[in-house]
Amino acid sequence: MFDVINYIYGIFRSNMMDIPLIAPIVDYLMKIPLINILVALILWKPFFAVIIMPGLAVLTLYLLYIVWYERKLTARIQWRVGPIEVARPIRGAIQALADGIRYFFQEAIVHREAHRPYYVQLPILAFIPVLLPIMFIPAGSAVGIYTPYSIQLIVAFIALIPITIVAIGWASNSRFAYIGSVREAFMYFAYEIPFIIAVISMIFLYGSGDAYVAVEKQSAIPGVLLNPIAFVVYIIAMLMATSRLPFEIPEADQEIAFGPFVEYSGILFGLVMVLAYEKLYIMALLFTILFLGGWSGIYCPLLGDLNGPLWLFIKTIIVISVLVIVRSIYARYRLDQALRIGWTSMLALSIAALVVGILGVWLL
Amino acid sequence: MIRLSRVKTDPIVNLRRHAEAIGEAVKQAIKPDRITVEYPRERRRYPECFRGFIVFEKDKCISCFRCAQICPANAIQMEYFDKAYPGIDYAKCIFCHFCVDSCPTGALNTSKVHDVAFKSMDEMILSARQITRIPEIVREERQTVEYYVDRQVWRLIRKRELDNLEVPPKPVIVKKRKAACLEPESCLGCRLCVNVCPQNAIKVEKCEISVDEEVKGTGCILEIQEDLCTGCGLCVRQCPMHILTLKEVGE
Repeated sequence: MFDVINYIYGIFRSNMMDIPLIAPIVDYLMKIPLINILVALILWKPFFAVIIMPGLAVLTLYLLYIVWYERKLTARIQWRVGPIEVARPIRGAIQALADGIRYFFQEAIVHREAHRPYYVQLPILAFIPVLLPIMFIPAGSAVGIYTPYSIQLIVAFIALIPITIVAIGWASNSRFAYIGSVREAFMYFAYEIPFIIAVISMIFLYGSGDAYVAVEKQSAIPGVLLNPIAFVVYIIAMLMATSRLPFEIPEADQEIAFGPFVEYSGILFGLVMVLAYEKLYIMALLFTILFLGGWSGIYCPLLGDLNGPLWLFIKTIIVISVLVIVRSIYARYRLDQALRIGWTSMLALSIAALVVGILGVWLL
Repeated sequence: MIRLSRVKTDPIVNLRRHAEAIGEAVKQAIKPDRITVEYPRERRRYPECFRGFIVFEKDKCISCFRCAQICPANAIQMEYFDKAYPGIDYAKCIFCHFCVDSCPTGALNTSKVHDVAFKSMDEMILSARQITRIPEIVREERQTVEYYVDRQVWRLIRKRELDNLEVPPKPVIVKKRKAACLEPESCLGCRLCVNVCPQNAIKVEKCEISVDEEVKGTGCILEIQEDLCTGCGLCVRQCPMHILTLKEVGE
């Protein structure tokens, strides 16, 4: 028994995050038995990447931040005030937390027409394709599972998310949810192909699907300048994929009342509502790695190994914060208009991006 | 048949418009031009002519009943103690403020209070004593906010100050009145008005009444010297034929 614990402790100990800022505290805690194994687990690089940063803990923080930030920014642009009554001194910054707590204690109604088992379990199942890509997203030296095909894997998991949303709409068995599901399926075909082609063009350019190689190749020039067409296609695909406003077709509030999620209430609604935000987070992480130089940034010696995850997170948050402004600028496209954009201009642009990628490899 | 064709747009103009929209959004995000007033904590600054809670001043009231008569919602009921004083039923009041405008002595006045709460319908019938001052209110707001456009620099400006909810009474414009005769031919010639007039402003003279240049009989003609008349109205009360009245003259 003791040997097993010691063996596990040895594994954790061999691959720990080295952060000089909290080194004295860590050293002190490592002397205490049983607590040291916990500290070693938290600072174990794969665990740290998946659970702490840029994984679950930071994802939760991001969700609390982005819901408030988006509402607040839209309100400012539209001359409103936005959420303010929850914690007035900080301008309602914990509104999302308050909503989350309310969802927890609210009754989750399962209506009679719903396909009960799927209806209840699909919101939870939908998290599998959302959270799995985090395993393969490296942040500096911290990485869950290292693989030379990480970018392809992330794209593959992102492509799985709409399937669960369509299934949610089907299990809800209501007319709005049905329309929402069909729209989601249409949009899925509209954005997925240009999106994948844009990513393939970047993989061509970097010569590998390895995120480390991609970041290393961008040390001189970021990917934005290497392939600006792929950049544009990726941004539009990101807006389409996460149903941001110009393409908020599957969840159109005013038409079909949140589309596939119309029947959900309570904590189940809380789970499905953040699905698009989580997808946005994953796609923005991939975006940062592909186009903005990933975790490379000004190295602060005090943070040590934390530099990589922190820079990746900061860049992602900036990208998302800039992206949410489109919500207050553009009106919603019709489904046919969005499909036309997806199948004509975006497809053409993505193929042009692919050509640029191939030419770039040939020239470099 | 009207054929619809796709609107042709210039891509450069289109791009410029997109850039303008994004620029405007960024501008508003940094410094919004919003004109929100967070009501319980701030209060809008209302103008002096705001039609709010009606305040009654007992000493000025002359019990003329004009407010009760003009009220289109029939919300004012006169009640008697000493004299007849108006009481307002706020369940009926439509805040047209005809009563305030019609009051000849300015006994009724407006205020800037617009958020009075009543517990029941019966409480909404306020007697004259209850409306002599503005109701007790807890003022949560720390400032009164007013937005206005500065025409010098063309910018929206937010002005803050704490405003008083009571409105100073406006000076009442009472028009000068003078006695006038409505139907001079109906005068009996009783000379009651002449006797009662303290200024000796009325003269009654005999005259001949002629029809088609043929004298039919004698009558009286009533002459009011307007420069002497003070508009006291004594002659109006005395006249048995009710042909005298007070007419508004001047401004």
